[in-house]
Amino acid sequence: MTDVHAPQSESQPGSVAAEGAAGRLPGGAGRPAPSAGWLRWGWRQLTSMRTALVLLFLLALGSIPGSILPQEGTDAGAVQQYYVSHPGLAPWLNRLDLFNVFASPWFAAIYLLLFASLVGCVVPRCFKLVGTARTPPPRAPRNLARLPHSSSYASALPPEAAVARAAEILGGQRFRLRRPDAGGTDYWVSAEKGYLREVGNLLFHLALLGVLLSIAAGGLFGYKADKLLVEGQSFADTTSALDEFHPGRLVSGSDLPPFTMTLNKFTATYIQSGQSLGQPENFNANVSYASSPGAKPGTYNIRINDPLSVDSLKVYLIGHGYAPEFKVTSADGSVTYNAATPFIPASTSTFLSDGVVKAPGAATGTDLGFMGVFVPTAISNNGTLESIFPAADDPAVSLIAYYGNLGLNDGVPQSVYQLDTTRMTKLSAAPHLLTPGQTWTLPNGKGSVTFVGVKQWVSLAITYDPGQVPALVCGMLALAGLLLSFFVRRRRVFVRAVPAASGTGSVVTVGGLTRSDASGGFEEEFTELAAEIAAAEPNAGPNAGPTAEPSNKSEPGA
Amino acid sequence: MFKAKRRTVVTTTAVAAVLLGGALAATLLTSGSGKASASAGDGIVEYPAGHRPLAPDVTGTSLTGSPIRLSSYQGKTLVLNFWGSWCPPCRGEGTTFAELDKSYGPKGVAFLGDDVADTPANALSFTRSAGITYPSISDNGYLVVADFSQAGVQVSDTPTTVVIDKTGHVVGMVLGAALYSQVTTLINDAAVSS
Repeated sequence: MTDVHAPQSESQPGSVAAEGAAGRLPGGAGRPAPSAGWLRWGWRQLTSMRTALVLLFLLALGSIPGSILPQEGTDAGAVQQYYVSHPGLAPWLNRLDLFNVFASPWFAAIYLLLFASLVGCVVPRCFKLVGTARTPPPRAPRNLARLPHSSSYASALPPEAAVARAAEILGGQRFRLRRPDAGGTDYWVSAEKGYLREVGNLLFHLALLGVLLSIAAGGLFGYKADKLLVEGQSFADTTSALDEFHPGRLVSGSDLPPFTMTLNKFTATYIQSGQSLGQPENFNANVSYASSPGAKPGTYNIRINDPLSVDSLKVYLIGHGYAPEFKVTSADGSVTYNAATPFIPASTSTFLSDGVVKAPGAATGTDLGFMGVFVPTAISNNGTLESIFPAADDPAVSLIAYYGNLGLNDGVPQSVYQLDTTRMTKLSAAPHLLTPGQTWTLPNGKGSVTFVGVKQWVSLAITYDPGQVPALVCGMLALAGLLLSFFVRRRRVFVRAVPAASGTGSVVTVGGLTRSDASGGFEEEFTELAAEIAAAEPNAGPNAGPTAEPSNKSEPGA
Repeated sequence: MFKAKRRTVVTTTAVAAVLLGGALAATLLTSGSGKASASAGDGIVEYPAGHRPLAPDVTGTSLTGSPIRLSSYQGKTLVLNFWGSWCPPCRGEGTTFAELDKSYGPKGVAFLGDDVADTPANALSFTRSAGITYPSISDNGYLVVADFSQAGVQVSDTPTTVVIDKTGHVVGMVLGAALYSQVTTLINDAAVSS
């Protein structure tokens, strides 16, 4: 991507301008088929820097709705909510796939084209760089004094021997050499150094391809999943156990590594005093895991930015909350519900959380449902329950009880965080406050509910990205290649010798130039090199001034 | 000069638009065919004879604490239902399984549940209300599901019902809430193969 693939003509193939520029007529002898011309033109357009930039811009533009509109993949509930609040607009947005931007065909089309554009640009460039790296130095120019750097000295040696001596010096300094064919009367040597620049350039381009392929591999073979886990609960890595599962294009449920995990304990510590009171200090999820059911188990403390690595995937800790434990007893005294129930934090600073408990009864219409608010450190502010600290120092729940039909036996999926009260009646006008161990005997003999205690839950992100490490390696190689191409100079040194006018010895001219000297320093290098070549003479003449004379330097009297 | 520049911009934009349109059409066509091939008829997967995976020999504990071993069901057609009391479709199909058990139990068909991500108290409350008398493995950690997955039988969602023949091979499965007729189809398949 370091060059611009400008089309040979801005006009379309087949147009008068294009034909005029090429100096050929359509259908003329030796002219390729028109379709081939169109294809070549299209490919040239696709692989041009302009098109790549337009596509990159479109990619950025296309990502915007993905970040401002709720997305199916990350928050399906929010999408439903958007439908409710924007009934007219939402169906249109859905038709344009704007609720699932990153999996939409038009977004895929943009990045596939961008990928093709980049590959089409980088691959030919790589071949070109290989060619450049293999090219031998050019023949020495006739007049070396015209080069940006040059010097000359008188040598006692005949021209051939003087050039051979200079070639020895240059070869010793790992210059690539080129000599004239044997038998000629022209005595010169061309030397070139700094091919590492081309190697760096090539490495950069290949690494760029590697980055693209790594990202593609991650998208095809990787997957992401989310799982909410309460203390004491376990799960195996199967699609039915995962709350969210976003597989790559070539991933199916059978590809999931069969690791198992149990959340033993979650600990969160908060700042206890000062201005930052209540700010989180540390999170630690202690888990037991095994790479497959029945394999040797291990334990690990997952922390923020310290994921668990198992079966070549990573498990990150991305959220937490409280899961109060409830025991619900029906009117006939049988236990209908006994479990820890995850509540969702409404405030991340105080962890005041909302949730519902659904306790289906033995017969239709005898269900009990509860809407609850959980506060980890409770205070009563003018009769309103509030939380003043995120740790569960003084937990309490406030419950509103309902009796009737929860609709669970209808067979229709429903959210575990919402209570459908359309077929239920409220059992008490005011919420009932419970602390751990307390039981509320419901009015009218409908049963009871006990707030048994508090557990915590964690939200885990499970990711498998086979392209991550290769992308990192390729990224580092690309950087190394870029540095090489920036700091290594491609420089040429020429030595030419002609017989001296006196008849013995020769006059040797050394010239040098660099194709890029952004970092500077070639002038000093040339001066030292010229001095070294001159000093290698057994008896250099009195006017052997190994002085670098830039050719553009004005001569006295000129 | 400016005209030439404008023409370049217009040409580039037009090319990008045409390419984008083509790629979009190609992607839409590809994704369309993918969806069509993914749809399994009526939620039933039937393995052809000779290609039926062997069910894993899972062990577990019932909701009441008794040990359960899958291999002990060999010699009988087994209907294994993966469910949870928290899952409305599972509750919806509960009475269907109670009826199936009553009809096919006396004919030598065994029924077993695998209760995932649940507590025994919640699960037993449901089985009592639905009239289900056959046992269920308490599979809080989806271990039985993982074992089946390893054996090549993807229990990709809850509920799923797997039918195993007398030789321990999986005849087929119903994905999602099962209908009475779907389960009897697989029971009949198992009877034919055995």
